[in-house]
Amino acid sequence: MSDEKKAEAPKPAGPPPPAPPKNPGMVTFTVDGKEVIAKPGTNMVEAVKQVGVEIPYYCYHPRLTIAANCRMCLVESSAAPPGKLVPACQTAIGEGVAIKTTTQKVKDSQRSVMEFLLLNHPVDCSICDQAGECKLQDYYMRYDFKPSKLEGGKVLRNKRKVLGDTVVLDQERCVLCTRCVRFMDEVAKAPQLGVFGRGSHEVVDVAPHVGKLDSNYSGNIVDICPVGALLNRDFRFRARAWFLSAAPSVCTGCSRGCSTFTDFMGQDVYRFRPRENEAINKSWMCDQGRISYKQLNQNRVLTSILGRGADAKDALTAEAVKYAGMKMKPLVGGVAFMASPVASNEDLMAGFAFARDVLKAKEVYVSGRPQGEADFFLMQADKNPNRKGLEWIAKAAGLTLRTFTDLTTAMDAGTIKALYAMGAEVPEAEEVFAKRAEKLELFVVSATNTSKVTAAAHAVLAAASHAEDEGTFTQEAGITQRFRRAFPPKGASQPHWKWAVDLALELGTEIKAMSSRDIFRSMAPSVPELKDFAWDKLAPMNQTRPGIATMAAGADGRPPGWREQGVPSMRGLNIPQGT
Amino acid sequence: MASGDEYDPTPSEDELEAHLQTRNMVVNLGPSHPATHGTVRLRIELDGETIVSMDPEIGFLHRGFQKSCENVTWTQVLPYTDRLDYVAALANNFGYLTAVETLMGVEIPERANYIRVIGAELHRLASHLTTAGALGLELGGFTAFLYALEARDLLTDRVTELTGARLTTSFGRIGGVNRDLPPGWVEKLIKTLDKVEAHAQEVDALLTRNRIFTDRTRGTGVLTQADALDFGFTGPCLRACGVDYDIRKAKPYWAYSKLKFNVPVGHNGDNFDRYYLRILEIKESLSMIRQCLAQMQPGPIMIDDWRITLPPKEQVYSTIEGVIAHFKLVMEGVPVPPGEVYHSTESPNGELGWYLRSDGSGRPYKCHVRAPGFQILSGLKRMTEGKMLADLIPTFDTINMIGGEVEQ
Repeated sequence: MSDEKKAEAPKPAGPPPPAPPKNPGMVTFTVDGKEVIAKPGTNMVEAVKQVGVEIPYYCYHPRLTIAANCRMCLVESSAAPPGKLVPACQTAIGEGVAIKTTTQKVKDSQRSVMEFLLLNHPVDCSICDQAGECKLQDYYMRYDFKPSKLEGGKVLRNKRKVLGDTVVLDQERCVLCTRCVRFMDEVAKAPQLGVFGRGSHEVVDVAPHVGKLDSNYSGNIVDICPVGALLNRDFRFRARAWFLSAAPSVCTGCSRGCSTFTDFMGQDVYRFRPRENEAINKSWMCDQGRISYKQLNQNRVLTSILGRGADAKDALTAEAVKYAGMKMKPLVGGVAFMASPVASNEDLMAGFAFARDVLKAKEVYVSGRPQGEADFFLMQADKNPNRKGLEWIAKAAGLTLRTFTDLTTAMDAGTIKALYAMGAEVPEAEEVFAKRAEKLELFVVSATNTSKVTAAAHAVLAAASHAEDEGTFTQEAGITQRFRRAFPPKGASQPHWKWAVDLALELGTEIKAMSSRDIFRSMAPSVPELKDFAWDKLAPMNQTRPGIATMAAGADGRPPGWREQGVPSMRGLNIPQGT
Repeated sequence: MASGDEYDPTPSEDELEAHLQTRNMVVNLGPSHPATHGTVRLRIELDGETIVSMDPEIGFLHRGFQKSCENVTWTQVLPYTDRLDYVAALANNFGYLTAVETLMGVEIPERANYIRVIGAELHRLASHLTTAGALGLELGGFTAFLYALEARDLLTDRVTELTGARLTTSFGRIGGVNRDLPPGWVEKLIKTLDKVEAHAQEVDALLTRNRIFTDRTRGTGVLTQADALDFGFTGPCLRACGVDYDIRKAKPYWAYSKLKFNVPVGHNGDNFDRYYLRILEIKESLSMIRQCLAQMQPGPIMIDDWRITLPPKEQVYSTIEGVIAHFKLVMEGVPVPPGEVYHSTESPNGELGWYLRSDGSGRPYKCHVRAPGFQILSGLKRMTEGKMLADLIPTFDTINMIGGEVEQ
């Protein structure tokens, strides 16, 4: 009997089977009552962004491993143990989970974290480079906004610990998020930084056996530092963030062509910052590219120079065009054209049209910067940003490309007597080429920077840099990128393409173009690789600038860039919190 | 006869005779004329001494007020508001701040409310005394003007002690007022009010029953109640037409609900009513300030929220929390939540309304001012056309047009 009863008894009720996912293949959950659908494994911080919920964080970075040590992102989750908050950056989303980010408990936690972070933070905003783009400032106003409770002094640490040639560390400002340590380990593959000490004595420092931070990517840790602890020694104390305007641009340091922001004030560039580009540089750029902004400021050819040696004199643009045209006219057919792959696609399109239609050239010579070092990550050996574009355009223009060696051989043999160079960069020692150029009957160069090569020219035409004009570069993998004009051309310079257009007109051929846009629109359709490029749409000027808020009191309260652009763009400057 | 540009020195017969005008004469009053207190030009077409048409031309004081406000932080708008009705800057300051606070949903401390009433009423006194005195001046009664202006100077001195500026006060901040009453100021103010009252009585005695004055003001510049409402009149000019509408009573703000005061209302809508209404309002304002001084208690004058008000200086200099709050408030402005608001206060000339719109940033997205003077000036044509030229001057006086707020 009893056996029978046992057999008849129903099985003890186990846990109910989990409900099938609401959206198969995806995870569906709610945040503050809003439903979110995301891929499995996505963390909460990223997943809730799509419905406009912002969870604050310091240590989390989408391109680094998760440390979850800043505790700023703690939120309430229905899947958490009772009474506990979970770090949103580390916790993967679960089906049917309800997340709450605005409850009193979460707010109290955020306020406590801010209070602890600021407890020993020095009173430095007025002398700190990060002021205006600092997460401590942003989050204090949003999540804390209460007076200090500190009694007594703050913990003192090293305020100017030089980590290497690029970076200096203020250990007092550090919030120990370890973004820099993780970046050096994981991205730069140079595990040189570490956290040392315990408790109040805990600091970030260079590992003792390394001695010095010497990675080519160390500049990135300044960018990802959420506070003003890591500072770029080149930029330090040079500008306040809210006075700088930013133009989307491209690094011209090598053929990788990292996307950048050109941060400028007036007609001077103050720094390059990497601009996120999944295909090329992720969120990073190398130190060598980072300091290449100096070429835009220093040793610029600001006025055209006619004559060489003792006869050299500054000239107006119109005079220079007339002079160069007069000199070239009798030599048409015998003027060789040398193009530098540092020039933009638009420069080269106009230049090659000039070479083919005006100078009657069948072939063009390729100059450019000499080869350099490459590394495992971003930096390429070819230091020219636009070699690919040059090849495409020359092919479309029906011009044969000849090497620089061909040029020098012909120059030495005396078969080339006159040379027009677009860009003064040469892949051999400048003085060697200058020697060769001195023998030429006529050497005209449109150049951005002075060098020994420009000193050897009969006419130096002042050329604008890529920061001073609109255009495109095509990097080594064939990705074409748009760059925007930051400020008008310096001095009396004008872009390479404009010199080609002016000279063509002087020599009797009209190339119809008032801007680089005109050139692209009229000539790109003949270049198969470029004809579908959305020139007008890419890298828009109003691209938001992560971290930098538009400061009302700066520059008369007008948004950055209005003075340089002449186009006050008052609206549409929403400032997302960046990575 | 000489023709064209040639000048013939021999006098013609015509020059020795004074012909009657066969065409209407056009006279320009202003833009720079002692009787146009603001910089305004009135183009008047006259048939003899009768005004056929009158066209006020404004814009000489236009400075792009509303657009300027969009380019600065919410706090930095304050100095611009001084220049609206520059005879009563405090009323503009506080009106603007209250509108911003309404948009933010912020309640300011009790003491700050009393200080705002005192400031606004001080400047109402100044404005009404100026109007009454100047009216007397332009009708030939210079003495009354001197009494009125002496009283106004006394008030200006008290305002200077309170705010630090005679005219451009920029007083008050979002969340309260930036400075408490100076020590000993209340006693001084009480004595000042007595003197002002005495002076106001002199003005009243010199003008109100003066035969010449009443002849010039009674029945001139009349506007009917219906017309006044149609034109959008507010303030003393509307109440002189018999409409009992005062925002301080209709929709009390600050501490007005705790004060006992009457709203004088006229009957005829003429110059005399507009003048006499102001004389009566002076008495009410004096009483209101005295009530405030008696009622107000010591206490905070600013709300304590570092997202809105600047931290105390010692905190800014010595703590990171203070310096961050200061930096963000000064550089980015007070973060006013997205939304829009229309809020109005009773300024000396009428309803001073603010339409503010925020996009959540530290600067106004839109800042529109409904200044009372604009609507009232637009009624001037109706009040003067077909009337005598001589009546234009007292009418222009009693509507109290202020160029700063009309033209913005």
